[in-house]
Amino acid sequence: MNIPDVKQSWPNPINEVTIGATKEEGGTRSNTITIGGTGTLPFLSFEGRSPHHPVIAMEVWDFAPADWPEELEKYFSDVWDDPGKWAKKCVDEFNADLICLRLQGCDPDGENKSSDEAGEAVKRVLESVTVPLIIWGCGNKEKDNEILPVCSQTAAGEKCLLGTITEDNYKTLVALCKADKHKLIAESPVDINIAKQVNILAADIGLAPEDIVIYPSTGSLGYGIEYVYSIMERGRIAGLSGDKMWAMPLLADIGKEVWKVKEAVVAEEEVPGWGNHVQRGPLWEAITALVYLQAGSDIIIMRHPKAVEELKKYIHSLTNKN
Amino acid sequence: MKENKVKVTFLSQNETILVEKGITLLEASIRAGVYVNSICGGDGICGKCKLIIKEGDVTARPTTLLKRDEIKEGYVLACQTEVTGDVVIEVPPESRAKGKILIDKDAQRFRALYAPMKGQVFFKYDPLIQKIYLEVSPPSLQDNVSDHVHLYRSIKRKKNIPILQSGLKVIRSLPYILRDSDWKITVTLGVRGGTIEAIQVEEGNTTDQNFAVAVDVGTSTVVVHLVNLNTFETMDAEATYNSQMSYGDEVTRRIIYAELKGEEKLREAIVDDINNLITTLISRNNIRLSDVMAVVCAGNTAMIHFLLELDPSNLRREPFIPVCTYPPPIRASEVGIKINPRGLLYSLPSIASWIGADVTAGILATGLYQADELTMLIDIGTNGEIVIGNKDWMVCCSASAGPAFEGSGVKSGMRAAEGAIEKFRISEDGKIQYTTIGEADPIGICGSGLIDIMAEMFKAGIVDRSGKLDPDSNDRVRNVNGELEFVLVPSSQTAIKDDIVIAQADIESLIRAKAAIFAGINVLIRILSIEFSDIKRIYLAGGFGNYLDKENAITLGLIPDIERDKVQFVGNTSILGAKMALLSKDALDIAYKISKNITYYDLITYADYMNEFMSAKFLPHTDVGKFPTIMRKLKRKF
Repeated sequence: MNIPDVKQSWPNPINEVTIGATKEEGGTRSNTITIGGTGTLPFLSFEGRSPHHPVIAMEVWDFAPADWPEELEKYFSDVWDDPGKWAKKCVDEFNADLICLRLQGCDPDGENKSSDEAGEAVKRVLESVTVPLIIWGCGNKEKDNEILPVCSQTAAGEKCLLGTITEDNYKTLVALCKADKHKLIAESPVDINIAKQVNILAADIGLAPEDIVIYPSTGSLGYGIEYVYSIMERGRIAGLSGDKMWAMPLLADIGKEVWKVKEAVVAEEEVPGWGNHVQRGPLWEAITALVYLQAGSDIIIMRHPKAVEELKKYIHSLTNKN
Repeated sequence: MKENKVKVTFLSQNETILVEKGITLLEASIRAGVYVNSICGGDGICGKCKLIIKEGDVTARPTTLLKRDEIKEGYVLACQTEVTGDVVIEVPPESRAKGKILIDKDAQRFRALYAPMKGQVFFKYDPLIQKIYLEVSPPSLQDNVSDHVHLYRSIKRKKNIPILQSGLKVIRSLPYILRDSDWKITVTLGVRGGTIEAIQVEEGNTTDQNFAVAVDVGTSTVVVHLVNLNTFETMDAEATYNSQMSYGDEVTRRIIYAELKGEEKLREAIVDDINNLITTLISRNNIRLSDVMAVVCAGNTAMIHFLLELDPSNLRREPFIPVCTYPPPIRASEVGIKINPRGLLYSLPSIASWIGADVTAGILATGLYQADELTMLIDIGTNGEIVIGNKDWMVCCSASAGPAFEGSGVKSGMRAAEGAIEKFRISEDGKIQYTTIGEADPIGICGSGLIDIMAEMFKAGIVDRSGKLDPDSNDRVRNVNGELEFVLVPSSQTAIKDDIVIAQADIESLIRAKAAIFAGINVLIRILSIEFSDIKRIYLAGGFGNYLDKENAITLGLIPDIERDKVQFVGNTSILGAKMALLSKDALDIAYKISKNITYYDLITYADYMNEFMSAKFLPHTDVGKFPTIMRKLKRKF
């Protein structure tokens, strides 16, 4: 008996997005990173071509975070007063493919750092490492519209990935990216329609769809992960099927979500039976990330070095035969 | 074939068409799009469709409805006259549309609605209420039956009525009225289900005073038309917002109110509205209240429940059971409606808890129930109702849109009444042009104006595809206490003290409303496994006044992007259907059939409705492939 061939072919590959620019390309990076380009669902290499494997960005802040648990603190407290050193440690010691600089210090409800300080942080990271850079605002849309223009100019020509644009706030950032040649993260609140709508809005004012990475929000394992998973999977299938406004690479922001849930941080003494949190925390992050890889994520943003290491092994095992 | 075609020319309209020999002039005028009065719809009994033959050959059936000198002048009845050769026609003034603008347009629409459909006929004129004058021969020793039998016998001599009934009050009054009037009386007959009731007996001949009203009981708007049952004319119309609004904008909240505080308050509110409108209409037209003999109502199921003070609480609870969908005719006074105390209240039949008599009326008025081709009716009100079907089957659903398109809950919104902006344009160079109903100074914006404004702002880039106002796009966009708004007309040019504006929140309400309706359409299409292109005609109904720009409705994504000539705006079909039932018992009977034969699809049972809704909350739609012509037009600008 013959086993039927269930291979599926898709008409529309996902866009390729290249982050970072080398000297020849007008930037200062030692390498660039290209994501996307896949013509099939994740890791189904027998069905279609996936020219680029998923990459991991490690998260760096523009000030020493007060709310990171001890399990992260022990790796980063020696460097986290300087985003440059912090980034360098991530690249040199923990093999981060990219750095994600989150400008959390600019949040008006927190440190309320100025746009000049934000620009300074970007400059520090660019000087300290040569990998491509993600620059992520503080999440307050008025403030982001103040700080990101400065950051964008500081990094002009570096082809950074900037974020985020939303349905309510996209015009400033789109203009910046067109001027300074960056790429954009389009954020939506776990909604398959809004994810697409943000892309259409940005495209309407002239952003090339090839400059967009979709961030459909992220939930930690145990906190709605299946909901996000299904949105990502449906969106990816739509993109592969020909929907140009879903044919973008996907991003998952793992560390931020995982390291605030009690399953990842609470010590064993408090919850006997959950096991040692020193192992549990990174494992929670790695497994959450793994699920997002299977959902189709092309960039994963993470925090814990051990989790990064685990995930890298996993990606390697799936993308390299033999 | 060619020899059988003849030319019909309408002089005053400067219209000439080729038609087959043997069709009536009425049919020819409909095909030519020339409006000719006709109420009986071609039965040769109303005498309204007079035309003058200027030249040419016709064959006219004899009629008693033309005067001798009219016949000499070449007058004929359009419906009784067949074309036998080329003819030149003049439409005399009395056969042209007359009366108030609103009503004329309605009448024209009524005709326009019917013209494109093959084999479509008007209903036979047979109103639910009829007055007959009787000269009864007095009784004698040889003819000594009771007054009651005497009356019935006289009625039956004049009209073939198998089952006649009457109330005790009428019987009690008989000996006096019959004798005081010297046996000359007027009997008012009313349809009550399968029987006819002698509702009232009056002295002398009062047959020339026979009036009734048709009512559209909307969630947000109540419309009353006053109809002369002798001339079949709509004499006047008036509308107001439903004062039940103070118990909740939408139906569910009003039901909850009724559950907590009793149904009576809600009945009183709507009955007061109807009474006020009737009083306005009769005093304006010098008619006595006692000569208004009937009310015919159409409205959604909950509104009919409120009007009849039926317990509405199960309408909102699974499995959503109405108390009554086929209310029998009752005395209008039983619910407090003030017309003749013996006058009757008819409610058109509803379909289900969330799809009411207004939809039955719409199907009746548009003739969807006898269409050969697949036809869609979209009735835009506080609920958007969608019907798809033809003469073989019909499916419907209802989507909760909110009252935005009725001008309610929108900052400068208003009903379609004098002074409402109903048409709005932004030209290429950014100039604003608008027209108001009655060409009065603007007071606010009605539904059709809101559709225009939204679409025009979108095309001009003042709002983006998610409906966000762009503060840098236009000088007229301003920030008031943190909210953006677009100034349409500055206060100096309005009839009110305020600027007429559209605010960000208004835009969001309108986008939600259009998304709810389009999602309903899309779900129904998907359930039926058909494509938009399978729909051969779309009737777009709603209380929009006289005008609705279908191109702009498509630009917004309110209705599907299909060939424009397939889309027809038909106005308020709820009241139109109610009037048809009032004027023809046949139409009422068909309304019952429609409500029994249609299949209701409840959107609550469709899990993906919410997703469809979110997808439609974008201009024109998240799935841009659904609106190819709009996308092509927008592309040109970038």
